Amino acid sequence: MAKLLEVSDLFVSFYTRQGEAQAVRGVSFYLEEGEVLAIVGESGCGKSILCKSILKLLPYNGVVKGGKILIEGTDITAYKERDMERLRKHVISMVFQDPLSTLNPVIPVGKQIGEAIRLSSQGMKKKAVEERVAELMEMVGIEEPESRWKLYPHHFSGGMRQRIVLAIALASHPKILFADEPTTALDVTIQAQILDLFREIQKKMGTATVLVTHDFGVVARAADRVAVMYAGKIVETGTVEEIFYDSRHPYTQGLLRSLPAYARRGEELYAIPGMPPRLIDPPMGDAFAYRNPCALEIDYEKMPPMFQISDTHFAATWLLDERAPKDLIPDWRQPYA
Amino acid sequence: MIGKKIAAFFFSMFLLSMAVFSVARLAPGDALISYYGDRAERMTAEERVWAEEKLGLRDSLLVQYVRWLENGLKGDFGISYKYKTGVLQVIGNRMENTLLLGGTGFLLIFLGALGLGSICALTENGWMDRWICRVGTISSCIPEFWMALVAILVFAVNLGWLPSSGAYDIGKSEDVPNRILHLILPLSVVVVQHVWYYAYMVRNQLLKELGAEYVLLAKSKGLRKGKILCRHCFPNMIPSYLSLMAISIPHILGGTYLVEAVFSYPGLGTLAYESARYHDYNLLMALCLLSGFVVILCNLAAQMINEKIDPRMKEQTYG
Repeated sequence: MAKLLEVSDLFVSFYTRQGEAQAVRGVSFYLEEGEVLAIVGESGCGKSILCKSILKLLPYNGVVKGGKILIEGTDITAYKERDMERLRKHVISMVFQDPLSTLNPVIPVGKQIGEAIRLSSQGMKKKAVEERVAELMEMVGIEEPESRWKLYPHHFSGGMRQRIVLAIALASHPKILFADEPTTALDVTIQAQILDLFREIQKKMGTATVLVTHDFGVVARAADRVAVMYAGKIVETGTVEEIFYDSRHPYTQGLLRSLPAYARRGEELYAIPGMPPRLIDPPMGDAFAYRNPCALEIDYEKMPPMFQISDTHFAATWLLDERAPKDLIPDWRQPYA
Repeated sequence: MIGKKIAAFFFSMFLLSMAVFSVARLAPGDALISYYGDRAERMTAEERVWAEEKLGLRDSLLVQYVRWLENGLKGDFGISYKYKTGVLQVIGNRMENTLLLGGTGFLLIFLGALGLGSICALTENGWMDRWICRVGTISSCIPEFWMALVAILVFAVNLGWLPSSGAYDIGKSEDVPNRILHLILPLSVVVVQHVWYYAYMVRNQLLKELGAEYVLLAKSKGLRKGKILCRHCFPNMIPSYLSLMAISIPHILGGTYLVEAVFSYPGLGTLAYESARYHDYNLLMALCLLSGFVVILCNLAAQMINEKIDPRMKEQTYG
């Protein structure tokens, strides 16, 4: 069976004054129908760029330098703007990070939702569009849509606006939904609401979703599979269970260890030492080696390949090589000696 | 809120009248020359006193001001010293010509700037954008009077295609094609001189809007770039553009005055120039008041249009 979305060996670079910033460096992943794949990583690791490059919404100085993107088995890598428009109308949608700035401030929200409906089903009657707008607004939990759809974005709170953005994204019955940190800009209490709504609708409509986040709480609540990104590369990928209970990459382990939920009373919160590398001149070997307490010599020289652990679980670290010393990998749930 | 605006309007007009009056009187020169012409220079001292008395120039400035204001409120701005008829009548005769030149010019600039700016924004950094930017920068840097002179030289003198001055040939004031023919050169100079300044603003404003997040959302809906520009960016840009254009009216009017002078086009510009030169106080003051009135009115209009279009601004004022 063809995967819904398949990305292989994708490279994206930004040309800046300081030089070429390699934001995405050889990323491969796939998405199956109806599943939620969470892409997790620190800010600036290239996860948003990864989504935008698939939708071809990169800013003008961002260039896809290599790799392949397949949607339902069709190669869209070389698609021009016209073809992408068709794809965006019917097949893929995106929810952006900041609902305060993604809605057009001077257009009533109903009209903004209606526009997406009209774009995806051409020639729809005005009455039918209105009904569908109301239906969508109700679906995302906005009550009394008829009285509210003439209101402007500034009449709504952040959470409500994100619901509207979600309604816009779902208006076309997309097959794939990209959600770029959909809850990051929201209040913590609202985050949970939106996330549950997200999961509920996703289950109901069966929309395959790529969920970008830096929050493992979000991952646990909403995802089926996880891909952990570091410095423009996916370093570990697996099902939620595999990542949470059997993570193999020291970066994933570090991230999990720094969750407040794992902290002990009276102990300082753990933080991964150091900073992510600059992407303008990325290190030759494993980009994480410099922050890795159990880095091997080879980590500094050669990029590790993906080692397979199970059918779904892969990790890119030399620690998994058969020649690596086995006792080096500590149990991350225990404090380091 | 509307009452507040009207109060502010009248207060501004009052301040303007004071400024206009004092500046007109403070300027050096002899008012009698404009009324009596060369004869004023041969007048004896007694005759001068008598003449100044007759024109009311011997009272203190304050008295003169109050008298002028009183009459002005009744709609009487006195007579023009030069034309010896009511000021409003003199202005009325010329108004039509200036409105024709300035109004058409403004309209063309308004639409042209919008069009040029949009083309540039859509083809940002492409060859089209770059060439329009270059030509525009050059055209807006050439001084207006020089451009007018060169236009006369090329199109009127060398090629002989178009008339070089006036608003119409003698006896043909009702002849529409003839008027249009006379309008082409001055109009082109006014438009070419001003359009780029505003087109560049439109371009940059649109580029700013195109970089906004809501454009990404519109794009992810599958909307075409040109449509995003029209449906999403214009509504965001138009309020600031309208207020900019409303404020630009005096600027463009000033340009029109200058062009009128070069083309000897019988409009308010040439009239204002003459009245300042010959110390035709009443006419000068009325013209200044009129221009100021237009400026204040335009700003007021800009503000009100803004509130109407941008829903957020209204709530700031009324909420």
